[in-house]
Amino acid sequence: MHAVSAKLEGVENEWRSENVKRGQPATGTLVVEVEGLRKAYGPVVAVEDVSFGVLEGEIFGILGPNGAGKTTTVECVQGLRRPDGGTIRVLGLDPTTQAAQLRQRIGSQLQDSALPGRLRVAESIELFAAFAHDPVDCDELIARWRLDDQRGQAFDSLSGGQRQRLFIALAFVNSPELVFLDELTQGLDPQARRATWELIQEIRQGGTTVVLVTHFMDEAEHLCDRVAVVDSGKVVALDTPQGLIEGLGLPSVVRFTTFEPDLGWLEKLDVVESMTQHGEAVEIRGTGPVLALVASELVAHGIVPLDLRVDRPTVEDAFLALTGRKMRG
Amino acid sequence: MSAMRGYPAMTRAEFRLFRREPFSVVFVLAFPLMMMVLLAAVFGNSRADARDMKNGMLIWRGVTPANYYTAASVAVIVAALGLMTLPINLAGYRERGILRRFHASSVSVSTLVSAQLTLALVTFVAGTVVMAIIARFAYHAMLPKDVLGVVVALVVGTAAFGAIGLLLAIVIRSSRSAQGIGLLLFFALWLISGTAPPRAVLPTGLRDIGGLLPLAHLVTAVQNPWFGFGWSATDLAVLAAYAIAAGVPALWFFRWD
Repeated sequence: MHAVSAKLEGVENEWRSENVKRGQPATGTLVVEVEGLRKAYGPVVAVEDVSFGVLEGEIFGILGPNGAGKTTTVECVQGLRRPDGGTIRVLGLDPTTQAAQLRQRIGSQLQDSALPGRLRVAESIELFAAFAHDPVDCDELIARWRLDDQRGQAFDSLSGGQRQRLFIALAFVNSPELVFLDELTQGLDPQARRATWELIQEIRQGGTTVVLVTHFMDEAEHLCDRVAVVDSGKVVALDTPQGLIEGLGLPSVVRFTTFEPDLGWLEKLDVVESMTQHGEAVEIRGTGPVLALVASELVAHGIVPLDLRVDRPTVEDAFLALTGRKMRG
Repeated sequence: MSAMRGYPAMTRAEFRLFRREPFSVVFVLAFPLMMMVLLAAVFGNSRADARDMKNGMLIWRGVTPANYYTAASVAVIVAALGLMTLPINLAGYRERGILRRFHASSVSVSTLVSAQLTLALVTFVAGTVVMAIIARFAYHAMLPKDVLGVVVALVVGTAAFGAIGLLLAIVIRSSRSAQGIGLLLFFALWLISGTAPPRAVLPTGLRDIGGLLPLAHLVTAVQNPWFGFGWSATDLAVLAAYAIAAGVPALWFFRWD
């Protein structure tokens, strides 16, 4: 028994040091540096104090509820709005004074934008390509974003998902080094959403840095290398999606059923925070490798439940813990 | 380089949009044309009227009423496009987020406005040709004596009213307000600039106010070469001054969203 516990302690310590490593800041070339950004619209402070850096080649997420200041932040970073305070450097340029130069090197997919209603898909892409110093091949772009069947269709007649694909395509028309995607998958059906995620990952493989603004937790978890959680105009956390969850020490929940009435020895494990038993059903809340440690302890006691499973904390749980409120509703 | 490819691309897009929705300018073209036909029908094309005097001025500037209204109505097309079509279009573009989209993709204000004004100028020239032909057949009115002079007046007038339209698009937030305000300004100008009642019959106060505003100058600038009176340097200069006075702040304060 003692031997098992000692061994388990060793495992736990190892896990802890692993966790500390994850919390360390990532290193590399910064393509976006934001320091103390502030922006108010009249008396309404949209962005109070936002600082973050985006590394070359990463997919960086800005996650937060509607009205958190995400869009204002990226609009300032893209030189579309003039900040009231703070400093911004993007690809070595100042977006407030060098916006024209910057726009040639970045791609933007904006929220709440539109095109002239009767302009057709292929015409729009050719129009925007005419303003790019280094335009991509329009036909290739149309094919990549699966707009072939809509080439001759007017903007007004496109569905929400088709418009979204067109806007994403327009963000890439100038071969950008860095793209800003504001609510990338808004209006897309689940299938198109998956396909879009895959394309974004493909684009990153090609060396383009991606800044993703989203209020979808699963999108951030699936795509982003690092995530800044923004709430009420401030960055409340910045880490990898996994680091966010682990850094907060959010509990996993291990569930199984057993006829064994006395499981007090399980609570002695360091990773176990609490245990409840309702008849045969057992629910254990704990942090770290709680499933593995509980499982091994159960096996050591000759208990092998068939329905042993774990619910791991999600980015959504992390968000709830950070901001004290749910993302939706 | 991008400006060089951007301007023709944007102009072509605007022409395509116009071709797909030609009725968007029906009022702008049809109203002046209709007014020319009606006013010329009311006042006729008699040589005897050409010498009529009022308030010490030649009412019809020494030509027949039909000739007077043909040339004046060309100026009305320019004013209608500048005061209505341009601000309504731009405010609508801004409202729907089209301007934001353009702005984020390196489209400059000057490219956008140049494309719109190029389309407007082509519309004016076409409108002028139609106006002259209809007046010719209906009233035996004269064709322009100095075509180049008329084109120059149209170009300078387009610059002046284009700049005013751009300024309106900045001051007025929504396309619905732009419609209301544009319409009001247009009719006020139309009534006191010699395009409806000739300026000679207006009371002194109204005539003086009209004389300060750009449409009266555009009317003279178009009429003089049309009737063979030569170019009117003063009126062209006033129009150019309007173009600069409205255009510079408009470009400076232009808002994309």
